[in-house]
Amino acid sequence: MLLTIDRLSIAYELADGRELEAIKDFSLTLERGRIAGIVGQSGAGKSTIGKAVLGLLGENARISGGRILLEGEDIAGFSERQFGAIRGKRVGYIYQNPMTALNPVLSIGEQLIETIETHTDKRGTAARSYAVELLTGAEVSHPEERLTKYPHQLSGGLCQRIVFAIAIAAQPDLIIADEPTTALDVTVQKAVLGTLKRLAAQENIAIVLITHDMGVVSQMCDEVYVLLRGQLVERGPTMQIITAPQERYTQELMAAIPSVEQRRARFDVLDAFEETPGRQRGIDYLRAGTVALAHGDTMLAISNLSKTFTGEKGGAGFKALDSVGFAVRRGETFGIVGESGSGKSTIGRAILGLVHPDPGAIIALDGHPIGQENRQALSRKLQCIFQDPYASLNPRMDAGTNITYGIRAAGLVPRKHAQRLAEDLLEVVGLPRAAATKMPHAFSGGERQRIGIARALAYRPGLIFCDEPTSALDVTVQAEILNLMKELQDSLGLTLVFVSHDLAVVRQMCDSVIVMRAGRIVEEGPAEQVLTEPADPYTRQLLSAMPRFLRSAAAS
Amino acid sequence: MINFVLRRLGQSAILLVIMSLLVFVGMYVVSDPVAVMAGEDATAADRAALAAAYGLDQPLPVQYLTFLANIVQGDFGTSFVYGRPVLDLIFERLPATLEVVFLAMVLGLAFGIPMGIFSGLNRRKPATRLISMITTIGYSIPNFWQALLFILVFAVWLRVLPATGRGPTTDFLGLQLSLFNAEGLRYMLLPAANLAVALICMQTRLARSGTQEVMYQDYMMFARAKGIAPRRLIGRHLLRNILIPIVTITALELGTLIAFSTVTETVFSWPGIGKLLLDSIYRSDRPVVVAYMILITLMFVLINLAADIIYAVLDPRIRYS
Repeated sequence: MLLTIDRLSIAYELADGRELEAIKDFSLTLERGRIAGIVGQSGAGKSTIGKAVLGLLGENARISGGRILLEGEDIAGFSERQFGAIRGKRVGYIYQNPMTALNPVLSIGEQLIETIETHTDKRGTAARSYAVELLTGAEVSHPEERLTKYPHQLSGGLCQRIVFAIAIAAQPDLIIADEPTTALDVTVQKAVLGTLKRLAAQENIAIVLITHDMGVVSQMCDEVYVLLRGQLVERGPTMQIITAPQERYTQELMAAIPSVEQRRARFDVLDAFEETPGRQRGIDYLRAGTVALAHGDTMLAISNLSKTFTGEKGGAGFKALDSVGFAVRRGETFGIVGESGSGKSTIGRAILGLVHPDPGAIIALDGHPIGQENRQALSRKLQCIFQDPYASLNPRMDAGTNITYGIRAAGLVPRKHAQRLAEDLLEVVGLPRAAATKMPHAFSGGERQRIGIARALAYRPGLIFCDEPTSALDVTVQAEILNLMKELQDSLGLTLVFVSHDLAVVRQMCDSVIVMRAGRIVEEGPAEQVLTEPADPYTRQLLSAMPRFLRSAAAS
Repeated sequence: MINFVLRRLGQSAILLVIMSLLVFVGMYVVSDPVAVMAGEDATAADRAALAAAYGLDQPLPVQYLTFLANIVQGDFGTSFVYGRPVLDLIFERLPATLEVVFLAMVLGLAFGIPMGIFSGLNRRKPATRLISMITTIGYSIPNFWQALLFILVFAVWLRVLPATGRGPTTDFLGLQLSLFNAEGLRYMLLPAANLAVALICMQTRLARSGTQEVMYQDYMMFARAKGIAPRRLIGRHLLRNILIPIVTITALELGTLIAFSTVTETVFSWPGIGKLLLDSIYRSDRPVVVAYMILITLMFVLINLAADIIYAVLDPRIRYS
């Protein structure tokens, strides 16, 4: 057995001197050339296990029990010096974010060659030509030229391939891959995972793949370990875990994953909405603000929207958006999908007035063109739910104030009613009234996003712009938030513009959709049609790159 | 890059003109050089003659324009007090200041950076607490008081180093320096150490905070995971990243020390340029003061330009256009 983790426990020392067991009795076995996946939500302790194998735990963490056997040798108690002989040489490491894993001020060549010179007897030109060989193996185009580049000059996908090349430089027996594709676009992710799998098979390297993405697991892993709050919930062959999970937590995890293949009315997670008087009052408040107009009228009309970012020294500009036009009907959820750099965020920024579009663009909300001059009055009609719930709430205001300070400043609600309104709205989004007086740091990511939704709703806006509202959240939390948004959509008839890179989420949420690529709309239409019978080759490519797995058993 | 350098130099020309005007007018307002030169018992006629000889009877704008015209021809004027060309005076004194500042800089970097990196890496060791204590004390004690303590300890009690003055000098590329002979170096140690204390404290703190920040970056953990030897990890991956703020502060400090190490030079009777400035201000020697300030401004501009160029070398993400 190459790697045996035997009842491993890891404790973190807290600021007050107490200890927190982050990992409890975790066991794993891995043979040469096999791939084991460790899955679980953020905070489950997945990365901690990976770091423990490399001796990279922080100063405040210690192994409080169990053994880590690498080829029969217990490395759990190794010193920093002893780990020096293991790291890179016998166990390689692939880090989550390739853009931050490479040192920004050293060239790619130096970072690759220093690894080669540390672990092999190749020096000088021999090391350099081996570096080129490694990059070629990791499918890096123009390898010679890349050696002289710096990380910021390369894309995330290329950086991750370079990280692969570094990880396999010394031909290790084992690689710890910590969320290797989380930071990458879906089409890049597919290619990068393909490379990793091929390299592992070719060099007979075993991989511990840490991920939260079941799609990645089903594509890569032989065996899966499901982790919940530091404890192993279930282990088994990949197919078995995905199609016939035994434990309740694993079943919930599977049920929460949005599928690009089928649309479901709701995810099978528990929604606890108590029908209280406060909640009803909140819903009445919101309903009263929605002007009673028929579904189907055009709420947002955009035509000829272009945005050119001028290059340096007045050189040819970069066209982020090129004559984009579409219409959003009242009461629908309108999806904008595309990979990073496709211009989908720029559309949102143009609507919100954060970038000035090129002359000639028309953005009309509810029949009235939006200019730069009447922005202030717009906040009533146009609100935003942000991507990062950790950054979008003011950390120095309690939740209630976060929800109402905007509408109070706009004079939409008298001060004395603000507190009650905030509490009502918290109930609308499924949080207790008492949450109003708590500070943002007391909430989890999903709870914060609920507060963010309540804040946007408080304006009773005609249109809510949702910028990747769940991409920072765990999959079960995502399911809860998406359920909430559907629920609100049904009861309030909201109009949502929903930006996402995740086609499965779009499939679950959207009525119509546009697919963006390089600043242009390549396909548009009803979501069902675009995602089931894509007409454009790019849409087909996006769809085929989505990691997918059989869920027939899981869904039942 | 060349464009950037040229543009910066162009901007600094404007800066130099403004600086000269400010100092010129300032000196005119605060003192009357004729009164200082002529002395108590000079007659009105003597004063008038003196004023006419130095062109001080002209209106201020005319005086200033004449001064500018002369500078363009490379003539910074003649000292009222010494009766010698100003540039000769300044360049005579400059090497003494430069060498003592240079030694202080070397001491500051040689002690500060390693101490800072050590405390950044070993936050819980007793040595770190000791370093932190020393740097706090070093910062808090005023410069002149430190100078007096140094003299008391090393010159008066221990009698190992001379208290004041400059030792024998040797000729180096036409400059008179005491850096290259043992006796001269002995005289330099106390003033240089005096200047170095604040530098060491500052570099230690910069290196420590830089280390603490950089050590937690993903790329440092990834470099450890690659199996890179600790020496290379610190000497290359870490150092390269913490040097940028250090270069900034070092550049600023270098300029400040050359220009205004007046206190130290006074206490140790070091015949440097700071002492010249002080004497000239007392005696209303306007040409010296104005020329000095212009040269110092120019020096600041060049040092900061050098720092900007070093940034671009250190950090490939910085590009000037």
